[in-house]
Amino acid sequence: MRVDAEVIRNESDGLVNRRIVLSCPGFEGFDPGQFVMLSAGARTDVVRFDPLLPRPMAIYRTARFDGGAEVEILYKVHGRGTELLAEARPGQRCRLVGPLGRGFELPQPGERALLVGGGTGVASLYELAVRARALSPVRVLLGARSASDLLGVGDFEALEEVGVEVATEDGTRGQAGRVTALLERELEAAGPARVYACGPTAMMRACAALASERMTPCVVSLENTMACGFGVCLGCAVPLTGEGFGLVCRRGPVFESHEIDWAGLP
Amino acid sequence: MMEEARGATVPVDLSTRLGEVTLRNPVLTASGTFGYGSEFAPFLDLTKLGGFVAKSLTLEPRWGNPPPRIAEVRAGMLNSISLENVGVDAFLAEKLPALPEGTAVVASAFGTAVDQYAEVCRRLTDAPGVVAIEVNASCPHVAAGGIEFGQDPVGLARLVAAARAATTMPLWVKLSPNVTSIADMARVCEAEGANAVSLINAIQALDVDIETRRPVLANGLGGFSGPAILPIALRMVWQAAQAVDIPICGIGGITSAEDVVKFLLCGASAVQVGTLNYLNPMAGAEIVDGLQAYCERAGIQQITELIGALDFPSR
Repeated sequence: MRVDAEVIRNESDGLVNRRIVLSCPGFEGFDPGQFVMLSAGARTDVVRFDPLLPRPMAIYRTARFDGGAEVEILYKVHGRGTELLAEARPGQRCRLVGPLGRGFELPQPGERALLVGGGTGVASLYELAVRARALSPVRVLLGARSASDLLGVGDFEALEEVGVEVATEDGTRGQAGRVTALLERELEAAGPARVYACGPTAMMRACAALASERMTPCVVSLENTMACGFGVCLGCAVPLTGEGFGLVCRRGPVFESHEIDWAGLP
Repeated sequence: MMEEARGATVPVDLSTRLGEVTLRNPVLTASGTFGYGSEFAPFLDLTKLGGFVAKSLTLEPRWGNPPPRIAEVRAGMLNSISLENVGVDAFLAEKLPALPEGTAVVASAFGTAVDQYAEVCRRLTDAPGVVAIEVNASCPHVAAGGIEFGQDPVGLARLVAAARAATTMPLWVKLSPNVTSIADMARVCEAEGANAVSLINAIQALDVDIETRRPVLANGLGGFSGPAILPIALRMVWQAAQAVDIPICGIGGITSAEDVVKFLLCGASAVQVGTLNYLNPMAGAEIVDGLQAYCERAGIQQITELIGALDFPSR
């Protein structure tokens, strides 16, 4: 579906991190890991086509209301599109298409769910943690360069029955080092587990390798430049280990880690 | 009736013709930007469009280029997908039957050799729902097929002649803008029996990442499309319209009904909306509504009145 969504809030969440809440009439449910295409900045009466393309954004969480939902999105300002989005004020409208893509499958009952998030990648994992905790023990491992780069930690910590650990490369919060070190330790525990990773490519690739060494299933949620988000522009293709390519927008964004030809990713 | 008696609403006839093909309105959507049609069914009524041109088809299924395949540029985008498609047989067996009754489909044919193009045209002939075949003579980023047929009048003539011999269906030829004289290329198509020309395809272009000192696309060059290219497309449509009598389908940078009117004034009988479909999947239907409203405001009863009505200064 496509709506002109009204901006409810658009606030700083520390440094370049921001969160925006959009009121979306007609928005029904979504699966954890699904995304929306969001216009670069608010639409005003003056038509603007630069920047041209909408940006794929993970759905962080939603709050239903009668006939629709408020959709919350976490983002970092790192280019012209997100800079314009940061300027969108309450009452203005952003164009939104979604929910799109295939999200995460929930863990098998009893299987430990190990959620590994880096940077804005954590946004894809929140709803997964919410839904998985009824089925399985959930551990959330969040990583960033520095404490000020972390996103959503407080929200995860507020979830009952969900264990949260943080790693920062400069040691300003949680364990010093990479989040993959936390995953390595978690994987040493006995019993079946499943890894869910979303973050920078290098982080996901490292998670996939660690999981593979321990014969643990691992899914990753990929990011890519997209023009449409619904399988038409074919711009978001990633190379697969089998033949050809898979579209992040339609076959993904969630893939089994062994499906991805990691060496072929740009 | 009361309103008509007062003259408040005069019915507008949006229908247009490209040769023997009559369309309910002049708004089609362009090949490569509209998938196989059904991807857009959640967003708009496909039968509201004048028609849509499906993704170009090759004889065999084909994978595209490695990523990155697209990049944003000022008021536009670059792409180098390279004709990834399901192949003509899967299109006929799976994609066409999935479309709602009454959808006007233009099938697009591609090949890396003349006989492949001809065979694709042959297989598409008389397929249910297909109103015309558009030969893609202009993919900007496939070495074989792009340069050979799109930029060389002799190669183009061979291609159009072969496609013409392969099908009795209305035959459109999609032209490349990467030529010195679009008029010459349009004349070649007319001479070899094409029923219409579609133009323009994406403009060959390059953008650079100064950190890596590499092109932004893995393939190097790409095709430039989007709102920025509209004036170039209008110029080429106007030049082609001066050169040939066969109808023209105008393509390039359309974002509104007003842009459609510009193409019609320059001599196009219909248009194709392209890149806009990505950012607004309802765009085609919205532009049809906008065209209706424009004609009502401007007192135009038949949209065909606009075709070629540009008052160009005489030299």
